Amino acid sequence: MALSQPQLATVKRTCWMLSLVVVAIPFLFPFLWMISSGFKGPTEIFGEPTLIPRTWRWQNFVEVFDYQPFARQYFNSIYIACAVTVLTLLLSSLAGYALARMRFAGAALLMVFLMSALMVPEEVTIVPNFFLMKWLGVMDTHVPLILLPVFGPHGVMATFLMRQYFVALPKELEDAGKMDGLSRVGIWWKIALPMSRPALAAVAIITFLFSWNLFLEPLVFLSSLENFTLPLALSNFTDPYGAPLWHLQLAATSLAVVPILIVYLIAQRQIIESFAMSGVKG
Amino acid sequence: MTRLTVRNLTKSFGKIEVIRGIDLDVADGEFVVFVGPSGCGKSTLLRMISGLETISGGELWIGDRKVNEVQAAKRGLAMVFQSYALYPHLTVRQNMGFGLKVRKESPDEIERRVNEAARTLQLDKLLDRYPRELSGGQRQRVAIGRAIVGDPQVFLFDEPLSNLDAELRVHMRAEIAALHRRLGNTTIYVTHDQIEAMTLADRIVVLRDGRIEQVGSPKELYARPDNVFVAQFIGSPKMNVCPVEAIRSPLQRAGFSTGGATQAGLRPEHLRIVDEAEGILCGRVSISEYTGGGALLHVELEGAPVFLVENSGDDAPQPGDIVHLAFSGSDLHLFDAEGRACHREPELA
Ligand SMILES: Nc1ncnc2c1ncn2[C@@H]1O[C@H](COP(=O)(O)OP(=O)(O)OP(=O)(O)O)[C@@H](O)[C@H]1O
Ligand SMILES: [Mg+2]
Repeated sequence: MALSQPQLATVKRTCWMLSLVVVAIPFLFPFLWMISSGFKGPTEIFGEPTLIPRTWRWQNFVEVFDYQPFARQYFNSIYIACAVTVLTLLLSSLAGYALARMRFAGAALLMVFLMSALMVPEEVTIVPNFFLMKWLGVMDTHVPLILLPVFGPHGVMATFLMRQYFVALPKELEDAGKMDGLSRVGIWWKIALPMSRPALAAVAIITFLFSWNLFLEPLVFLSSLENFTLPLALSNFTDPYGAPLWHLQLAATSLAVVPILIVYLIAQRQIIESFAMSGVKG
Repeated sequence: MTRLTVRNLTKSFGKIEVIRGIDLDVADGEFVVFVGPSGCGKSTLLRMISGLETISGGELWIGDRKVNEVQAAKRGLAMVFQSYALYPHLTVRQNMGFGLKVRKESPDEIERRVNEAARTLQLDKLLDRYPRELSGGQRQRVAIGRAIVGDPQVFLFDEPLSNLDAELRVHMRAEIAALHRRLGNTTIYVTHDQIEAMTLADRIVVLRDGRIEQVGSPKELYARPDNVFVAQFIGSPKMNVCPVEAIRSPLQRAGFSTGGATQAGLRPEHLRIVDEAEGILCGRVSISEYTGGGALLHVELEGAPVFLVENSGDDAPQPGDIVHLAFSGSDLHLFDAEGRACHREPELA
């Protein structure tokens, strides 16, 4: 029996969906395992593997907060990531705009110089940065965790992304802005930025993630428990002999992914909306 | 009252001189059109007037004010761009009110003026849409609306119709003409479409390579072009030009003096197909292009290049036919070796 056109389309669609689901399993499974293990007791984790816990240990999520100042550490991570994101957006869009649109002596050289920063791994710069921060007297504070991502290679990459986006914006729009009486800064703020929402959203996501996952810098610069950020805190759920307390660690990790999901959902909507917006002419 | 005065204006990008000394006076309320081939500097000149491009040399006066160093927004001009340049993230209303808002007009005043402009351009129903929700013609009208709300002294248009299809272009052309009649602002309009130039302009400025070739009313440019370039640029299809030598004897036989001229020009629409007895020139039709109202004939003259001839009516000669052509002496254009027009004594008072 021959299928009609719409039926054929449905079959095709279903096949696609099924194959995508299959492909998604390896990505989703560890995530589900993490969440389920967060509800298991320490013995059940090493018992017969099940995806649904036999007994739900809700108290894991209470103990997580008793074991160390986890709420405080959670807050640290959030506010640092927010600060880094806001500052990076501000600086990268300003610098990116200047590099894209302003003609000044040595602009090309500056660009090459900045790009070369991308080729230096952070492990190389951590030692000089350590001495710099020590000299500034900001050890065991959050200042290095904000300054280094904003002004380091990550900031350069964000600047580069913004520059590429600004370069492609139609110049006549800025001319129109000039005719309407906007200053340079006005054009940046009122025309270039609103039109760059997809780029801003992308930079926001990767910056937030970057700051959120930062491990080496907190490890080097922080020493007191209440200053810890999440990645450090997570590795700190250990028994007195240094062996990980898996059930707590996994429960805490489950909590730690929540903000990332939220940020991603918000920014994703922004990206899609902005794509619909950005048609300059039909 | 807004005159615009341009004195020896020049512009260089690095070492390349793009505008090479322009002198021009635009009277109050005049509609001036810049035409010229691509890359001749029309846009650059317009952008220098607007303030978007700096001036390398010379002077620019708007009214009684020298504005060489005045910011774009403070020159009292409004510009309509080729790509419309509407802000995609703002509604039509916000687009039109944007400049007023930047200038810190009160919201009531902005509202009033936007509504007024919208009424003039029949945009009332579109005010809350985004540019992406408009058709090309509507976007064009919004762009014009954005220009008129600021009540500028001078309007600048840079090829505003070139993104529209042929029909809409004719329509918007008429709208722009009507708008100019109603508002009476001094207007400078750039186009490379000479029909647009002829229909809209009080005066046309023909540019080539950053220099003015000729300034004059459409009629003047058509009837008395200063040089071969203008003669061939204005008018469509373009003027036939050939060395005088090639047609000297027919001209002499018909009693036209050629003086010291080296080139002769005849417009396709001024050549009539006549009987052998009346004919001045004679040639064989090589191609006949049907144009609806008539035909455009490519006629191979003896010893001269191919002439285009416009033939109205249905009885167009076929390829291969021998045709005889006549014209009146006033339609014969003569040019010297440098391509400058040899102006003869006016033949008709
Ligand atoms: N920013 C610039 N830098 C260097 N050269 C430029 C610049 N802008 C324009 N030019 C050059 O100046 C000349 C005139 O350009 P312009 O855009 O004014 O031409 P136009 O007459 O408007 O042509 P078109 O009809 O194609 O729009 C061109 O040769 C162009 O290459
Ligand atoms: Mg141009």
